This record gives sequence, structure tokens and C-alpha cells, in this order.
Amino acid sequence: MSDLAQVAGVERAAHVAPQGGEAEGGAPGLAKAKILLVDDEPKSLFALQQLLATLEQNLMIAQSGEEALRLALKNDFAVILLDVRMPGIDGFETARLIRARDRSKSTPIIFLTAAADEMTSMFRGYEVGAVDYLMKPVVPEVLKSKVAVFVELFRKSERLRESEDKLRRLAAHLISVREEERAHIAREIHDELGQVLTGLKMEVSWLAKRLKDKPLIEKTDSMCAMIDSTVQTVRKIATGLRPEMLDDMGLVAAVGWQAKEFQKRTGIRCRAKLPAETKFDIDVSTTMFRIFQEILTNVARHSRATRVDIELTLGAEQIGLEVSDNGVGIQDNELHARKSLGLLGMQERALLFGGDVRISGSPGHGTRVSVTIPLSRKPK
Amino acid sequence: MKVLIADDHPVVRQGLRQMLAVESDLTVVGEARNGQEVVELSRRVPWEVAVLDYNMPGKNGLELIKELRQRYPGRAVLVLSMYPEDRYAVRALKAGAAGYLTKESAPEELVSAIRKVAGGGRYVTPTLGEKLALELEDNRGKPLHETLSDREYQVMWMIASGKTVRQIADELFLSPNTVSTHRTRILRKMNMKSNAELMHYAIAHHLVD
Repeated sequence: MSDLAQVAGVERAAHVAPQGGEAEGGAPGLAKAKILLVDDEPKSLFALQQLLATLEQNLMIAQSGEEALRLALKNDFAVILLDVRMPGIDGFETARLIRARDRSKSTPIIFLTAAADEMTSMFRGYEVGAVDYLMKPVVPEVLKSKVAVFVELFRKSERLRESEDKLRRLAAHLISVREEERAHIAREIHDELGQVLTGLKMEVSWLAKRLKDKPLIEKTDSMCAMIDSTVQTVRKIATGLRPEMLDDMGLVAAVGWQAKEFQKRTGIRCRAKLPAETKFDIDVSTTMFRIFQEILTNVARHSRATRVDIELTLGAEQIGLEVSDNGVGIQDNELHARKSLGLLGMQERALLFGGDVRISGSPGHGTRVSVTIPLSRKPK
Repeated sequence: MKVLIADDHPVVRQGLRQMLAVESDLTVVGEARNGQEVVELSRRVPWEVAVLDYNMPGKNGLELIKELRQRYPGRAVLVLSMYPEDRYAVRALKAGAAGYLTKESAPEELVSAIRKVAGGGRYVTPTLGEKLALELEDNRGKPLHETLSDREYQVMWMIASGKTVRQIADELFLSPNTVSTHRTRILRKMNMKSNAELMHYAIAHHLVD
């Protein structure tokens, strides 16, 4: 029988079930959990279906190990009820193969066996990943309540996954919104305010040229000086929000500049090994640049280093960044501390583009951060 | 001298026009608001010096400079930019600009820059000139601060930033004695006698802000 026919058969079975009917099934808004029933005997399968129909979940059936494997490839089951004795691939082997696959490596399996006294087979069953054993003929209430527990568990982890996913998407959204806003404000400040100040200065200079009175000339001079220092401040604020170099000249130049700035600001020697300047995707550049800034912030705050070595590499498919310092070295417990939101932020930023951040440190030997971001992928 | 002004901000264009109007030997023959207008105007108006904003809408500054240099090799392009020269000037000059000025420059400086580049010369500000000279010098031999160890460099930077031995010791978790030893060694390596000399050196070499 083909997979499709099997599933269709199950749907039918569900409809003939005593309290069947999809509309009223389960809590509203929740998709039904899938349960796989595997037995070579149609009679046993039918009995199981009848028993479990009251749970109002999506029951799928397989009459052999092969069929069970095929279904497990395409579906995530809340629980699998697996007959031990089957012709062809037996229950143990089926369980082992199901568990070997990544998608189903933690799917709970309940073995069904007729042989009550087979202790050795029980051990074998637990070895290949059984979470429980039931003896045939099964007690309906026991079977139902056990399956119900797994359905509930599945539901919970599903919800957890969903909310994780939501949080991640929200974080991604916040990152990109913040970046856009920064770029926007930086541009406004720099262009508008900066140009007005330039104009103002020209006006004052024009005025100064027409003045003969010394005290007045002194005034215009000091006005000019004030305008100049305001321009400097405006520039500093704009660059702090988003370095215009990143857009103008690209990541390589921006990293080089940031490294120099860092040395100038902290007195920590910075050596950068940079590839030839190339321009590529601005979002990837921004991501890498922000991660780089975060790494440097951490170096300045925590490392007590006197030196930082930076290497940026451009491959055909990915950009790599290695930053190592000669400071005290990050400890494992610091890496996993709940408060290390900065580190989490780097991970999240990289993850958005399918990238990866690895941090390692050993006491007295400094900290090393490796970042890789593929060039081909766009954010999810 | 025929001057073309290009800036996307009316205030700046107006200021420039006023400024240049006072000079009898300079005439503003055209104004453009963006790179495209510069290119179009250039076909009709035979300017000698173009004063360009680096960052106008549309065409990227460097591209515009390159294009103008290619089409009109005899004319001079002077960049007047909001961006600090230490990051942008060298690139602009390499692309073919005859000079680079920031908008903080005094009006007299702009006028003399226009005169200089119109005569085929190049114009850089004294600050940039000094920096380029230092770089040349640095390329010949190792600059003095490169002879310092990483720790010594850090201590030197802190002294140059005006910190006391005690402050440095606290920040670096070192004893004041150790910091003093570093200081002595730094001064010897750099051939200097006082903190003031160190500060002066650090500022001249742009090691501190």
C-alpha cells in the first residue's frame, strides 16, 4: 500500500470512530498531534485505532518496519507504538533506524509485545530507545493515558519551539529596525545639520570680512570657532550612530578604521590584517561590522589586554573574522552566564545570515572570537 | 577663473557664491545640485575649477571625480567635504582630485586652494601634509613608538592621555613601582626626558585624540 493510501485509510478510521469528527477534536486552534501505530496484523492495528480514537489525534498506521520508516521520514510523531515481532525488519531494528535519523532521534517509542517473559528483549528495547513497554493484550486505560502523556509533551515542546521562533524573529526585526533608524538619524544629523552649520559659517565669514572694529572681529572669530566645534560634534555623533565609511567604502575600510580608532581610544595596540577592499552586500557588511564593534567593546571592558590581533578574510562564499587578544581570557562560566546579552546579541546577528560566532578563552592566554558569515544567504 | 559649484544644499551653494563673488579673479559660471547635473553642465560650460561636495545624491563622490578627470583632464577638481580629511582625502586625491578641503576650512583657504589648483597645482591642508610627511618618514624607519612592547605602548598612551602613575597603576592592576619602571624604559627607548615630550609626540603622531 502506498503512503498516501495509508494516510487516507487512517482518516477514514478517524471518521468512523465513536466520538470522531475533526471539528470538535482537541482544543481549538491546535493542530492534531500525529501518532504512529505499527503492527503487521491488521486486526491489532484496528483495535489500537479504536482504542485511541477518543484522544482525537491524527492516527497514522504502518503494517511493516519499512512503512514505519518511510512515514517517520516525513512526519514528526508525538509517539510511536511499535510492535516488536514483525516479519522483515523487526520492531527493535525499526526503532534503531528511526532513532538514527536526525528528525526522529528523540521521538518517544512504546514497544508492544506479546511475550511477557522476555526480559532480554526488554533490555534490547530500552537500548534502542524505547521509553516504555506494553504487553499485549494492552489494558485500554493504561494505553490511552500513556499516549495522552506523550501527546501533551509533544504539544508543549511544539509551543516552546513556536515561541522561540517568534522571539527570534522579533529580535531580528528589532535589530534591523534599530539599524535603519540609526542610519536614518545619522544621515539627517550629518547632512542637514552639518550643511546648515557650513552655511552659517560662510555667512559669518562674509560678515567678518566687512567688519573693521576689532572687538566685533573677535566676536565673529569666536563664532566661527564655535561652529567648527559643533561640526566636529555633529560628525562624531553621526559616525557613532553609523560610520559613513561602511556605506561609502565598505566593510574592509570600516574595520581598518574602527581598529585604528580603538587603539587611539583605549591605548590597546591593534593589528589588523585586511584583504583588498571589495564591496559586497551591505546587510552582511553591517552585521559583521556590528559584531566586530561588540567584540572590541568586550575587549576594552573585560580583557585587560594590551594587544588585539584582527584578521578579516574574504572567501568566495563567506567572510571570516578572527579577533584575538592577549588578556585574561574569557571563562566558560562567563560564556554561559545569563547576563552575557552582548554575546547572545552577536550570535543572533550572525544567525540571521546563517553565520556563526565562536568564542574561546583560556585563563592567561586571552580570548579568541571567530565569526563566519556566508555571502550567499539572505536573512530568513 | 571660471568656477563650477556643486553641492546639494542651497545654503552651502549660496555661501560659496557670496564668498567667491568678493574675489575679482573668480567667476562662478555654474551651479549643480548633484553629480548628474555636474556632468551635464560640464558639456556646455567650460569651467576651470570645480568645487565638489563629496557626498551628493546619486553618483558616488569618487566616481564623479574619476569621470571628470577622464573627460576633462585639463580641468581641476577640488573636493569640499563634510567628511574628515584623514579618512577621505587620500582616496579623493588618488581618484584624481587636485585638492581636498573640509567645510570647516576658512574661506581664505578655499580661495587660495582654488587659485592653486587652477594653476595646475595640488592642494592639501597643512595638517594632511604633515600626516603624509610623517607616513613617509615612518616608512623609512620604524617609528619610535613601534619599538615599545604592547604593555609599554599602553602605558605610554595613558601617560600621553594625561593620567598619573597612580591612576595607571589602578587601571592596569599593576603596582605604581612597575608603572614607574615602564615609564623609565619608555622614555629611554623613545629618547625623551619628560611626560610632556611624550604627549607632544603622541599628539603629533595621532596616537591620542
